[in-house]
Amino acid sequence: MNQYYVKRIVSAILTILLIATVTFFMMKAIPGGPFSRERALPAEIIAALNNKYKLNDPLFKQYVDYMLGLFTFDLGPSFRRLGYTVNELIAIGFPVSAKIGFLAIMTIVLIGIPLGVISALRQSKLTDYVVMVLATLGVTIPSFVLATLYIYFFAGKWKLVPAFGLESGLAYIGPVLALSGYSISFVARLTRSSMLEVLRQDYVRTAKASGLSEFQVVFKYALKNALIPVITYMGPMIAAILTGSFVVERIFALPGMGYMYVEGVNNRDYTVIMGTTVFYAIFYVVMVLLVDIGYTLADPRIRLGKKYGE
Amino acid sequence: MVNKMSHTKEDFLPINVKALTNNEQIRPSITFWADVWRRFKKNKLALIGLVGVIIVSLFGIFGPYVTPYSYSYQQTDYSNVPPTFPVYRVDENHYVFLTGQYRLLLISNEGEIVSRLLLTATDPINKIYTYRYNDESVIIDFSYRVVPSRMNLGIDYTVTYNNSTVSQPERTIHNKTFLLGSDNLGRDLLTRIMYGARISLSVALIATLVNLVIGVAYGSISAMSGGSTDNIMMRIVDIIDSIPLLIYVILLMVIINKPGSGYWTIILTLGTLYWVGMARLVRGQILGMKEQEFVLAARVLGVSNNRIIVRHMIPNTIGPIIVSLTMMIPTAVFTESFLSFIGLGVSAPQASWGTLANDAISNLQTYPYQLFFPSIAIAITMFAFNFLGDGLRTALDPRLRKG
Repeated sequence: MNQYYVKRIVSAILTILLIATVTFFMMKAIPGGPFSRERALPAEIIAALNNKYKLNDPLFKQYVDYMLGLFTFDLGPSFRRLGYTVNELIAIGFPVSAKIGFLAIMTIVLIGIPLGVISALRQSKLTDYVVMVLATLGVTIPSFVLATLYIYFFAGKWKLVPAFGLESGLAYIGPVLALSGYSISFVARLTRSSMLEVLRQDYVRTAKASGLSEFQVVFKYALKNALIPVITYMGPMIAAILTGSFVVERIFALPGMGYMYVEGVNNRDYTVIMGTTVFYAIFYVVMVLLVDIGYTLADPRIRLGKKYGE
Repeated sequence: MVNKMSHTKEDFLPINVKALTNNEQIRPSITFWADVWRRFKKNKLALIGLVGVIIVSLFGIFGPYVTPYSYSYQQTDYSNVPPTFPVYRVDENHYVFLTGQYRLLLISNEGEIVSRLLLTATDPINKIYTYRYNDESVIIDFSYRVVPSRMNLGIDYTVTYNNSTVSQPERTIHNKTFLLGSDNLGRDLLTRIMYGARISLSVALIATLVNLVIGVAYGSISAMSGGSTDNIMMRIVDIIDSIPLLIYVILLMVIINKPGSGYWTIILTLGTLYWVGMARLVRGQILGMKEQEFVLAARVLGVSNNRIIVRHMIPNTIGPIIVSLTMMIPTAVFTESFLSFIGLGVSAPQASWGTLANDAISNLQTYPYQLFFPSIAIAITMFAFNFLGDGLRTALDPRLRKG
């Protein structure tokens, strides 16, 4: 049993190392150095810059330096935002993203799951129909469309909320909704279908037959098992929220990680791209690992069952 | 007492097959695909999805041949003209329409843009602009927008021509020149959406096919090899699966993108990173099939591994593969528009739905239609493919078969 956890943790560490290595060599493979601009810099300046950032060292030494930097959480200076290190940029951006991301996850759990349950209980009735159409809409409309429509109507036309920034509580509604829209719909659909499956099972019928109230049957017995596929989705959901923040932070002009990343990509700020990529990837791997472990704790069948081959 | 059996010649005549089978209850046999189609047809949403996919494809394939414009043809005089607009009458056959950039356009009764009227004089203090039409002046008075005493009259501006002044638009007219309006460079939005359909859908389709080939090959090799090869190949899949791929798509776009090659870069990045799900699916299917009798029979007959995969295994997994394909296409459309949206898409003047949406963001408040139409196109496509995929899944899955 413990063997499973050890295996998962070891493979997560290997994955992180691999991610860091691949990212490093990908960045080195970019044609042109980090200092090639549209207006060519004088050769001496480039040489001096290369010297300063140790870009003249042999590749292997650069790699070792970079990996050692990673172990001490030092991601180097930004090439474009002078005076900032990547660490500082992440320290500025991450809390903003984390706040919105956390609220988004809460929204998903608090809205998506109840919607799915209601829809399953009222199967083939009007409520079910309305919820499912909304959920399908939510899955099919891209977040950037949702966000811009939201700004257009709520901030522009009706002036109910601020269009950007995070100064007031109301300003959180837009980013959080845009970020969670897809996952709310997905979770609602997932909950509905797994709930329907569980409700048909014998133990639910037994529970009903023994005179328990509908509420008790649904929330105490059925929901527990119905949520298992939803928990599986938590890993990918974190990814959706992470990457969704690229767009949402851009539209709502929030100084989060996603904004920094896209900014770095557009400015070709190599250390920022490299640093945030590695940060994102590690964060993601760790979160998925945590979800996986929590999940095996909740459902012992998963630890024991084989992973592949149906 | 031996009872000698006697046979007459009649006993050895062939029986009447027809008479015999007439008594049996038989139905014509249905092939697998006919059965799938029969079940698919019953699903209304899936049919709508199928029709939607066909319409969107036709729109992208034939649309550009039908429109009179090309995707890059600019008429800067007519930039940012909405699909419907208020018009003020100047003479029997013509209206005028004032664009958001203070250009006065002459509009025919049918709603076609005739020409742009020349701006002859501006009076910035009194907010009066003068244009020339048929050697007469058209005077537009904007003072209603700024002078406090006039601001609450419910008048936006007045149009004076031939000594008659109009203060309210006569009606709202549909734009016949640009059916869905024009963009900020005066390009026809409908044409650009059609070309966008072409680019978005072809990117999605090619990328998905590349994924299909890689995924099927990888999955089937892994499953058929078994043992440590299988183990190693699946560990690799595990690792790829535990990476947030979109970040690497972006990274790869940064690395291999050269100016003007956005189209192929997107296809390459999307096509080479998203095959993992397909590989897993195919592997699972083949593992389940590997020990079955028909594979054993083929093996006994001396059929090679490759041939078993190509001729026996893959045709038997075709159902789940098709379902997964129809689900991958909208994801690819989505990812492409996402990438274009953050500025990593096809390069101008080419347009995909994502770049169209991205271009429209900056003047969303003034020209919202420029965002609405590309967004609707994306949403319809996603809808159609999702419904189609759902329907196919139900139709192809034998476990959901009712009879």
